[in-house]
Amino acid sequence: MERSKSKKHFVWPDLAFKEFLTIIALTIILIIWGLLMNAPLREMAAPERSENPSKAPWYFAGLQELLVYFDPWIAGVMIPVIIAAGLIIIPYIDTNPNGRGSYTFSLRRFAVINFLFGFLLWWGLIFIGYFLRGPNWQLYLPWESWGTVKETENYLWSLSPAIGLVCIAVYFGAGILLPPLMSIDLYLLYGSLRYVIVMTLILLMYAVPLKIFLRLAFNIKYVLVTSWFNL
Amino acid sequence: MTEHSLNSNVTRRGFLRIIGWGSFFVTLGILIGGTMRFLFPRVLFERPSTFKAGFPHEFDRKDRADENGVFEVYEKWKDEHSACLVREKNRIYAVHVKCTHLGCTPNWFADDRIFKCPCHGSQFHSNGVNFAGPAPRPLDRFGISIADDGMIVVDKSRVYTSKDFDKRGAYLNV
Amino acid sequence: MIEKFWNKLTGSQLCKSIFRHGYEDTTRNRALQVRSNVFLHLHPVSVPEHAFKIRFTWCMGGITFFLFLVEAFTGVFLMFYYHPIPEFAYHDMKYLEFDIPFGIILRNIHRWAAHLMVFTIILHMLRVFLTGSYKPPREFNWVVGVVLIVLTFLLSFTGYLLPWDQLSYWAITVATNMMGAAPFIGHEGPFSVVNKYNDIRFVVLGSTEIGTNALLRFYVMHIIVLPAAAIIFMAVHFWRIRKDGGISGPL
Repeated sequence: MERSKSKKHFVWPDLAFKEFLTIIALTIILIIWGLLMNAPLREMAAPERSENPSKAPWYFAGLQELLVYFDPWIAGVMIPVIIAAGLIIIPYIDTNPNGRGSYTFSLRRFAVINFLFGFLLWWGLIFIGYFLRGPNWQLYLPWESWGTVKETENYLWSLSPAIGLVCIAVYFGAGILLPPLMSIDLYLLYGSLRYVIVMTLILLMYAVPLKIFLRLAFNIKYVLVTSWFNL
Repeated sequence: MTEHSLNSNVTRRGFLRIIGWGSFFVTLGILIGGTMRFLFPRVLFERPSTFKAGFPHEFDRKDRADENGVFEVYEKWKDEHSACLVREKNRIYAVHVKCTHLGCTPNWFADDRIFKCPCHGSQFHSNGVNFAGPAPRPLDRFGISIADDGMIVVDKSRVYTSKDFDKRGAYLNV
Repeated sequence: MIEKFWNKLTGSQLCKSIFRHGYEDTTRNRALQVRSNVFLHLHPVSVPEHAFKIRFTWCMGGITFFLFLVEAFTGVFLMFYYHPIPEFAYHDMKYLEFDIPFGIILRNIHRWAAHLMVFTIILHMLRVFLTGSYKPPREFNWVVGVVLIVLTFLLSFTGYLLPWDQLSYWAITVATNMMGAAPFIGHEGPFSVVNKYNDIRFVVLGSTEIGTNALLRFYVMHIIVLPAAAIIFMAVHFWRIRKDGGISGPL
């Protein structure tokens, strides 16, 4: 086994001392940071006067950015729940035994690429939401003054329910059925139930930038309109 | 279940086990339910839901209506009660100035005759009907009526969404 | 002279009763240092060589834990001056800033360490993913880790309302209205089965609007409920690292 190869070292004093140094360094950083920068504090809360723009803290700015493209129940509820649930089941759906406990890109390309895509998407949305959104949540590049007036957005339209349903069915159907048909061995690796769950989650993830693209390129507001909810 | 099958299938030990675990889970369920119920208070100490907005003649129509048939939007009660009184040709209604997207407070721009929401850029006409941004429906309206002393009373506990705008109580004929 | 005093001090009954083991550089002693200390006992006596390398571990899990301790420490001090009441909360911030000695530094560190903690816990997750450290037998510890990330976000979220300024008020307005739009359990969501007096938003705010009850609920969640949950899950997390084969590495 690989285990016997790796040499062991005592925690005391080497690792303990390293940790001690890390703690001291972090404490110094935090104190200097705290001395140099004040935590933000605006005027007292006033229910009748909204901040413009009203921004979420940076770690939620990505979700807030999604509000532009999705209804609140999707951006604020469904997407976070699916992300958390998807993360939780990763160990149970990724049955690839390679790369356990080491940096191994070549043996787990599929997992690493998809995870990094989601990871970078999350940070990209945070960047746009936090740095590029100005008054009325409109796009301002960093060097543009928030004083410049932006024209209001284009007229938006939605696909008819039938076409929307077909589009969604084709997207998920093709995404799930094509890889095994093209004899990519993902299907064999995961087994049928795991394969469907994996592909559904991954397709849902890619659907987010796809919807953003449809909105920006073709002014599509909803892909599917029903009387209960809109996607 | 017949008496016979009861006698033959359930031993005394099994019966006591069912009773024991049953009462354990029933008690647990009651505790959890009670804890949940605890989180929903019976009485709320919120601001009174009605306010008197003034006499109808204080909201006389101005010289000219805009393209939505609105003569004037009165902002007098916006800060205190987040309501704007809107005067049309022969009726008055109270618009709840709270964005139907995510609850921010839109600002009234009298020159453009538009309510603009600062949070996500929804825009509404002077009569509260949405025309841009993510807001899904027009601004809600509060119940409005005339009190015994002839003043206009706005009842914030009665909220009318756009499908009920023509119902009695959502507007006041003047 | 100093050496004599030092030897006397470390040789005293009191000192030996507390620390048990000195600095003698013997294998046995180095093992006992860790074994007999409740705090160091989080570690095993010895770890594989790669665990020492920052380029392997990034040290992000440990840093996140330390930042949690910083938050607890500074948070307790902030509680001495903070009243979770809308009329007071904002003025307490000003009071901390201008009148209380070192109050502003305490608040700044609490805020910045919270931001840093969110950042480091995300990096920790990335490292664990890239090293494949969620694979058997460590599956469950990954699940615990995801719960800890969610708890970290909730801690940050509940703390955000407490200063009661425009920034926090409107951020929480938007966020709780999103909850109100949740399917089934939100009064404005699709397939809603509740009204605005019994939906998820109402539980969170303790009311239909952000006011006294909401501030108090966020405060209680922030200072006791969520930290307690985080401590329990952290205990399990650290325990399982040891029990599932030690610090991540090939098994």
